[in-house]
Amino acid sequence: MNATVLRLTARGLLGKRRAALMALLPVLLLALAIAIRLSTGVDQTIADDVLSGFAMVTMVPLLAVIAGTGVLGPEIDDGSVVYLLAKPIGRPAVVASKLAVAVATVTAFGALPTLVAGLILAGTAGGLAVGYALGALVAGAAYCALFLLLSVLTRNAVIVGLLYAVVWEAVVGGFVPGAQTLSILQWSLAVTRAVVGEPVTSAVSLPVGATLLVLLFAGATWFAGQRLRSLTLTSEE
Amino acid sequence: MSVPDSGQAAQAALAGGAVAEQGVIHDIGYRHYDGPRLGRAYVVRSLFVQSLRNSFGLGRSARSKVVPLLLLGVMCLPALIIAAVVTGTKQDSMPLPYTRYAIVLQAVVSLFVAAQAPQSVSRDLRFRLTSLYFSRPLLRSDYVLAKWSAMVCALMVLLAAPLTILYAGALLAKLPVATQTGRFALGLVGALLFAMVLAGVGLVLAAITPRRGLGVAAVIAVLLVTFSAVGVVQGISASRHSDTLAGYAGLFSPFTLVDGVQVWALHAETSTQMAPPGTAGGLVFLAVTLGLIAGLYGLLLLRYRSVSVS
Amino acid sequence: MTTLTLDRVSRWFGNVVAVNDVTMSIGPGVTGLLGPNGAGKSTLLHLMGGFLAPSAGTVTLDGTTVWRNTEIYRHIGLVPEREAMYDFLTGHQLVLANAELHGLADPAAATRRALATVEMLEPADRAVSTYSKGMKQRVKMATALVHDPAVLLLDEPFNGMDPRQRLHLMELLTRMGREGRTVLFSSHILEEVEQIAGRIEVVVAGRHAASGDFHEIRRLMTDRPHLYVVKSSDDRLLAAALIAEGAGDGVRLDPVDHVLHVQTADFPRFARLIPSLARGHDIHLYEVTPADESLESVFAYLVAP
Repeated sequence: MNATVLRLTARGLLGKRRAALMALLPVLLLALAIAIRLSTGVDQTIADDVLSGFAMVTMVPLLAVIAGTGVLGPEIDDGSVVYLLAKPIGRPAVVASKLAVAVATVTAFGALPTLVAGLILAGTAGGLAVGYALGALVAGAAYCALFLLLSVLTRNAVIVGLLYAVVWEAVVGGFVPGAQTLSILQWSLAVTRAVVGEPVTSAVSLPVGATLLVLLFAGATWFAGQRLRSLTLTSEE
Repeated sequence: MSVPDSGQAAQAALAGGAVAEQGVIHDIGYRHYDGPRLGRAYVVRSLFVQSLRNSFGLGRSARSKVVPLLLLGVMCLPALIIAAVVTGTKQDSMPLPYTRYAIVLQAVVSLFVAAQAPQSVSRDLRFRLTSLYFSRPLLRSDYVLAKWSAMVCALMVLLAAPLTILYAGALLAKLPVATQTGRFALGLVGALLFAMVLAGVGLVLAAITPRRGLGVAAVIAVLLVTFSAVGVVQGISASRHSDTLAGYAGLFSPFTLVDGVQVWALHAETSTQMAPPGTAGGLVFLAVTLGLIAGLYGLLLLRYRSVSVS
Repeated sequence: MTTLTLDRVSRWFGNVVAVNDVTMSIGPGVTGLLGPNGAGKSTLLHLMGGFLAPSAGTVTLDGTTVWRNTEIYRHIGLVPEREAMYDFLTGHQLVLANAELHGLADPAAATRRALATVEMLEPADRAVSTYSKGMKQRVKMATALVHDPAVLLLDEPFNGMDPRQRLHLMELLTRMGREGRTVLFSSHILEEVEQIAGRIEVVVAGRHAASGDFHEIRRLMTDRPHLYVVKSSDDRLLAAALIAEGAGDGVRLDPVDHVLHVQTADFPRFARLIPSLARGHDIHLYEVTPADESLESVFAYLVAP
């Protein structure tokens, strides 16, 4: 990893508009949590619904799309990535640094608010808050690695990432049982279930889910580094 | 040797070039046009047609056709299946009301808006093409009108195509024509409301940033997150029997908002968890919908008024 | 580490051949890469900078391949054509970041040196987004110079520069060349290439059309007549003598400027005979100038369909 790349990426990612958009999501989650807590009190089932249905299914993937594609995609798009690549720095180091920023951002805007919302909604009983925060953490990391790879492979990484997160995971996953074994969401829910137990359900067991998460994270990062070595710069399209 | 009217003598170039002794330009390609010019209406209409075609990738590269046509296909596929089932198994009513279709497939519709709204307006902002547009007899309000109308029509195509397929299937299955036609018409009205609200949301968010990727993410984030959040709130409120809260929660997502209007004004069955409570609720929903459409259009006008031309 | 060698390099994109069997060697000094738009200049620069793989042939810097070789960037400085850079940083921060990315021992000093070289020390504390186009070009130069590279590749560096900045950049490039660095810049602005490039490489439609000193290139094209403008004490007599001796193929007296235009296909003969003819006829020669040796005409000859 490279400190300068980390610094440049962090400053570039958290520009005003992107940061505002990313902040919108956890603010909404926390507002929901507070409102529900004030009106309903502590309720495990409701907490589970909110954390899995809103935080895990909607908030974390969207944050990861914005952060994961935002650390490298715009730079490749407008050509300023040449300032990073025309240097004697290994491409894997560049990818690792950018991924670190993306994962840190998703953790700060996603996993942490999930923890807080869980505590607001369910208290500390049952480990619900910790379990879902952990699930959000690993899901966020895996999504970021995947979307970072996508932004190296295609200029339409945002749309492809969204197609995956929205169509594949939410729609197809709901209708086609087999698809659920290939879903980052399910793998992370397996991790959550290990901490929380019932009522969290997952289509895969913990060993399978955890292994696949690690494989995807490592594999996507490595592949992105390799593809970045052969990155072709074009003139303004 | 002197030429009668050579006020200035240009240098003679020998090597095979033209010998111009007086520096007279005969043809530099530019010709002044004095013929009839089609008016502003034509310009607006052309921009509208072009934007509409671009929304489905027509008139652009093959690559830009993939996403919209794919989404259109995914949108129509369930309709085809339902129509086939109804015709084949000779059922006596449609399993899915026309007005519910957009809600069921709201993810696909959201993706379409997210993909095509930035494609429509972000490019012009990013590459400063707005200066080309506004230096022609095209007012900024015309530009907004053309883009907005094109987006509304594109969404109408997306929403009406499957409804038409359902209608055709219903007719083929010999369901009562009058009822079906009435419901189809109401479905189309609902689709129009959806189109107008979503077009406003999509274009306003896309016009904020010249980066296309961020615009896509912003639109999807807003549409998906609001729908998801409203669902959560409605679920919780309904389970605690606070139907009023559940009803009014529907105001906060474009899909549930328009569905509320469909339920109250068009007498449709509710497609979300809770209908707007009573007449007052219905009126509120209708007012908010119309206000949102107008407000978003106004925001677009404001946005383009402050776009610089240089 | 100073010679870039392209050996039978081709690059195609599907059916379009952007670079067609180009062999060239860029050594120390200032070389101009010249060609009309779409000739493949940017492609060649990307190939040399390691951002494009050749479809055929090899691109090497002193023997080591450039493609997928990140160590090479210690010796190469790249000034890209595209304008986008980290707008939110100040000029100083941008160059400093580049210095750090190069792993320099004293990035702050190198930054100050680079900024001083391009005369951007004063505005260095403003954000890059507030710079004019010329200032952005200069900051780009600073980022390319900060690690003191032996090779400088510049893609259309004079774009968007006003005359004063252009002069300054020309002087800077000339100085770099004299220090022994290999400087290659692409341009289609002929005056600049003419003024500072010791050698030019001409690329037309992906093919390597010519290389060398442009005067020499001109001489190589003997199928076009050379043009000279001669000012003497007796133009008419000289004209007659030149024709009589076969030292010129065509002569024209210009009554307005009082010069003699001479057209000849055989330059050496003309150059050899004109002094003796002048002396033999007692004519004083005031001026003998090539009329079309400018790069403009060379370019036009090469590029004309």
